[in-house]
Amino acid sequence: MKIKTLSRPVDEYTRERSQDLQVVFHNFDPSLRPMEKAVEYKRALTAAKLEKIFARPFVGAMDGHRDGVSCMAKNPNYLKGIFSASMDGDIRLWDISSRRTVCQFPGHQGAVRGLTVSTDGNVLVSCGTDCTVRLWKVPRPTLEDSSVSSENFIEPAAEYVWKNAFWAVDHQFEGELFATAGAQLEIWNHNRASPVQSFQWGTDSVISVRFNPGEPDILATSASDRSITIYDLRMSSAARRIIMMTKTNSIAWNPMEPMNLTAANEDGSCYSFDGRKMDEAKCVHKDHVSAVMDIDFSPTGREFVTGSYDRSVRIFPYNGGHSREIYHTKRMQRVFCVKYSCDATYVLSGSDDTNLRLWKAKASEQLGVILPREQKKHEYNEAVKNRYKHLPEVKRIVRHRHLPKPIYKALGIIRTVNDSKRRKEDRRRAHSAPGTIVTKPLRQRRIIKEVE
Amino acid sequence: MGEKRRSTSKTLGKNKRRKGPHLPNSILKTIANEKRPLNSDEEDDEIDSDDAIVDLYEYEEGVPEEESRKNNRYDPVVNYNYELPEDFEDENVESDDDDEGGNSDNEEGEGDDVVRHTRMLQAVTGMPSAAFDGESKRKPVLFTEAYPESEFNPTRDVLEGKGLLTIDELMAPIEGKPGFNELEKRISRMQKDAQAVVHAPLPKPERERLERKAVKGLVDKEFNKWVHMVKRNREAPTVYFNQNVSLGYSTVGAIASEFQPRTDFEKKMASVLNDNELGEAHDEDGAKLLELNEVSVEDQIKYRDHIAKMRSLLFRHELKSKRIKKIKSKTYHRLKGKDLKKSAMGALMDPEMAKEEAMKQEARRVEERMTLKHKNTGKWAKRMISRGLNVKYDGTRAAISEQLQINATLSRKMNSTNDGSSSDESDDEEELNDGSDQDTPSKLIAKAREKTLKTVEDDEVPNSGLLSLPFMARAMKKKNEEAIEGGKRALEEYEEWENSGGEENPKKTAVVSGRRVFGATAKVEAPKESRKDSDNFYDNSDSDNDTEGIENNDLGAVRDTASPARNTGAITETEFDDDVENPASKTTFDVALFASGSWKKMKGCQNAETKKKLKKHVPYSKGQDKKESRDDESEDSESEAEEMVDGILTSASKETYEIPSQAELIQRAFAGDDVVDEFEKEKQEVLNQEVPEPEKPVLVPGWGQWTNIQKKRGLPSWMVREHEDAKKKRTLDLKTRKDARLRHVIISEKVDKKVEKLHTTTLPFPYTSKEVFEHSMRMPIGPEFNPATIVGSLNRPEVVKRAGVIIKPLKFEEANPNEKVDDEHPRSNQKQNPKKGGKTGKGQSKGKSKQKTKA
Repeated sequence: MKIKTLSRPVDEYTRERSQDLQVVFHNFDPSLRPMEKAVEYKRALTAAKLEKIFARPFVGAMDGHRDGVSCMAKNPNYLKGIFSASMDGDIRLWDISSRRTVCQFPGHQGAVRGLTVSTDGNVLVSCGTDCTVRLWKVPRPTLEDSSVSSENFIEPAAEYVWKNAFWAVDHQFEGELFATAGAQLEIWNHNRASPVQSFQWGTDSVISVRFNPGEPDILATSASDRSITIYDLRMSSAARRIIMMTKTNSIAWNPMEPMNLTAANEDGSCYSFDGRKMDEAKCVHKDHVSAVMDIDFSPTGREFVTGSYDRSVRIFPYNGGHSREIYHTKRMQRVFCVKYSCDATYVLSGSDDTNLRLWKAKASEQLGVILPREQKKHEYNEAVKNRYKHLPEVKRIVRHRHLPKPIYKALGIIRTVNDSKRRKEDRRRAHSAPGTIVTKPLRQRRIIKEVE
Repeated sequence: MGEKRRSTSKTLGKNKRRKGPHLPNSILKTIANEKRPLNSDEEDDEIDSDDAIVDLYEYEEGVPEEESRKNNRYDPVVNYNYELPEDFEDENVESDDDDEGGNSDNEEGEGDDVVRHTRMLQAVTGMPSAAFDGESKRKPVLFTEAYPESEFNPTRDVLEGKGLLTIDELMAPIEGKPGFNELEKRISRMQKDAQAVVHAPLPKPERERLERKAVKGLVDKEFNKWVHMVKRNREAPTVYFNQNVSLGYSTVGAIASEFQPRTDFEKKMASVLNDNELGEAHDEDGAKLLELNEVSVEDQIKYRDHIAKMRSLLFRHELKSKRIKKIKSKTYHRLKGKDLKKSAMGALMDPEMAKEEAMKQEARRVEERMTLKHKNTGKWAKRMISRGLNVKYDGTRAAISEQLQINATLSRKMNSTNDGSSSDESDDEEELNDGSDQDTPSKLIAKAREKTLKTVEDDEVPNSGLLSLPFMARAMKKKNEEAIEGGKRALEEYEEWENSGGEENPKKTAVVSGRRVFGATAKVEAPKESRKDSDNFYDNSDSDNDTEGIENNDLGAVRDTASPARNTGAITETEFDDDVENPASKTTFDVALFASGSWKKMKGCQNAETKKKLKKHVPYSKGQDKKESRDDESEDSESEAEEMVDGILTSASKETYEIPSQAELIQRAFAGDDVVDEFEKEKQEVLNQEVPEPEKPVLVPGWGQWTNIQKKRGLPSWMVREHEDAKKKRTLDLKTRKDARLRHVIISEKVDKKVEKLHTTTLPFPYTSKEVFEHSMRMPIGPEFNPATIVGSLNRPEVVKRAGVIIKPLKFEEANPNEKVDDEHPRSNQKQNPKKGGKTGKGQSKGKSKQKTKA
């Protein structure tokens, strides 16, 4: 027979060290705590306020270029390194932690338009308006990097001159190929002086190219004829192309969902597409008031960062219509390039004011080592806030963002314009025979057609 | 390919049959023979044979049924009255396959017929079968051409361009000549190649479009293979990106396996450890270990030297001790002894010394306990503590704690050093003392009880003398009874004392006071009770008189339930009579009156008889004087009792008692309160509060009153209109209320503004129903409200990543149908699926609470 007894062994209830937590017993009977919901709501409110208080996203600026930063590349193999190039042909490698230039890559005569690094982080590829593609050997990161104050210059490992100016370059994931965009799409090998493959569809120049990180042979380009095209390198032919109403400045593939890509459009919106079904966007991300210049996905695939001509950087959820966050400073000018760091913790932006800026991906995140209890507390705050985010008080605080005056005004104007358009359409529909006026949904409205 | 070829050959045959030039039969036959080796397939053969048969006639006429069955011996008439056999199966049951089989059988049958026919002819005529071959089916051929066809007189088909020459036709003349076979082979090869017709190339855009279409399909396929992974990722409540971080070695085993011997010793060890022979020996029985355990000469020498050294050391030590023992100086030995004593070793070694030490320790302990010298009772320590300096300065604190430490060590009981007997004794004594201290009162109580019991028990009555007289005896008896009563009471008290004494410390004064308090309250209460009693006592008559008639009419059961109410009613009445200004009592009086009034009402409506009786009784009660009633109290009560008894008796004897219906009983039980009326009033109040009546239009004093015209006109029309509008609106509001048609319900439509902030205006996006959304908020997620084991999973964010860990893009994995849900991170599905989670949570909580209540 089993006899149940109350027992309280001493060993279980004494702490081994004074730092250990005391064993505390709770009775979780909900009837004992009638106010738990109220308590949690209050906590959510407090958490929302605290988040606002601690929201200090700007970490630092990297100053050194003498012209606007045109493009950036992150080293997929090394977190602290970031490459940037400017309109005067200057390429720099930055050490993010110390925010200083590690070395420079001189050589380009005109603006550098494209920059990319091979997956192993050894080869840097740059191209620009001087019709050259240059390959550089990336110096191995050493401990002395940060301490060396004198900037060292690196000679290009290879220099290939080609027929036309280049607009963009991107490296294949885990491969030897890279693609340049110019008058046409060209695929290069590291060791060949001329492209191994070239694609052309139409006569307009290609302005951006991006390889699919999941499917290394698939890449997407956007051209100045307002088209977005998907190519497959194995097939020597394009797969799909859509024509939109406005030009697409940049494309990013979702690294966790290889079929999905998001296009940064000139009309200030981003469009997420499914690569298999391009005639309709999966999601329209609206918030920028001017052209979106660059886009980069977080390695987690859950959000992406965009830089815009309206002098702001925004972070969008991958499936959300509006941005989660907007970053801006007084001194930041037109943003030409943005990057999400490889550990999804930081965001980098390069702008016309010759600076690179380092931001936290989560504005109120605590940096540095976080003790487990702290971590738990943060998680709890986040969870509670997330739970009550729909209630008006919490929502107001969580959603509030201070906007620069020009953006605020522009948003107002855009809203007015849209309202009047809608009104007009409503009236038109009301005064015409039913069925004659068909409104396309927003997700199709900006897409003209899919080219066969 | 084979299929195609067959079809082509068929078409060829057809062409030949229909449009070909009418060649002589012999040529056709030869051609057919030539074709045979080309197509070696069986089916082709069949077809060829068909062709050969079909080739020979142009026009085929349907053969009459009778003719085809010429040799049928049965009279066809039988078929008309054909009866279905018993095992006949319906057509529908048969499958297509069966049909086909049947068809083929039929064909074979036909073929058989033909063969049989020819065989018969052959037998009859004795001519070869070839002569009859085809004869039966040959029909006269119609020739439309005037002249036989030749190259100068081609057929119309040829002229029209239809008559194409085939290669076979061209080939026919040169058959059998040298080189024919080679040529034929080449031609057949050419024919094979010619199957794929080379078209003119498509225009480039068209071609590219086709190409793209193909690519599109391939790319889609490529993308599709990721779907399961993407789906899994998206549906996961949490995605982990911090998992694949290699932190070097994970286990001790892994570290050990990587170990490389570097120094000589390590190498030696490794060589021994990794020696297979040794391992085997160890595994087997160990006998071989002895063999392997060879000792080298050097080792032996080393060992011997070591032993020798130790011996010499021992010898020297002996010498030394001998020398010391020889020393006669007393001071030297005394000092040495002291040293020994001081050392704990000495104490341990010598039992006498240890005893002495213990004695000393005990003395010190006693001293310490008496003086409390080290308990920081000194002036300095007190000062330090009072000023809080011991907290402030480490030194002070250390000093004070040191003192306490000394105190603790000194006052500690030395069990080990004490003699067993003495300690036992002292323990016993102590225990005894403690016991006596504690148990004195209880013992006393016990004694007292014993005594009282004795007194109670021996209540012998003397049988002689004065005390034996009857009245004395009676008095004695009474006294005795009293005494016994008192004794019993005392006993009870003792018991009580004992019980309380067991729990409480008798030394505490609080207990005494507590008892005293209890006594006081008892005192206070007692008079109250008595007064109440008296009140009841006095007014019983009154109330009885009031309600007597009713009670008489009513039955015993009701009477019992009604009596307490009656009593209270009576009390309040008397109090009212005495003009007691107590609001509480007044209210109760009101209630009582109300109750009685309703009672009367109820009665009135119930039956007339009671009413009459009531009327009879009421004046009597009213006319009754109070004093009188007091005088008659005992009588009344007696009479009442009698009546009651009578009533019961009578009811029992007469058996006129009828069990009232349930509704009646309920009506009687709740006769006092008119719930419906009250509720209606309440509802009206609520309505007025929530939809207030519009105020009557009033002119502001001084405005519009100074002319007669205004007075005559009355209120301005707009005011009246407004008022009416407001009234209309109110009625409308009342009508549209949810409880407008529900008579027994009040649904409050008051909106609490403070609560409004806790509601969303619309249902938030991912949720599709209100219930699910509310469920998602139902259970708290905090660590205070949940066990520590699930708090982590409740609060886990959607993306778990670590700063400084590079996240690689998705790598392709094949879909595993047997894959389980990630067990490593168990997580309640509350977050992912609000509905589900909420429900389960609810269930759990319910179960829990139930358990609690049960326990």
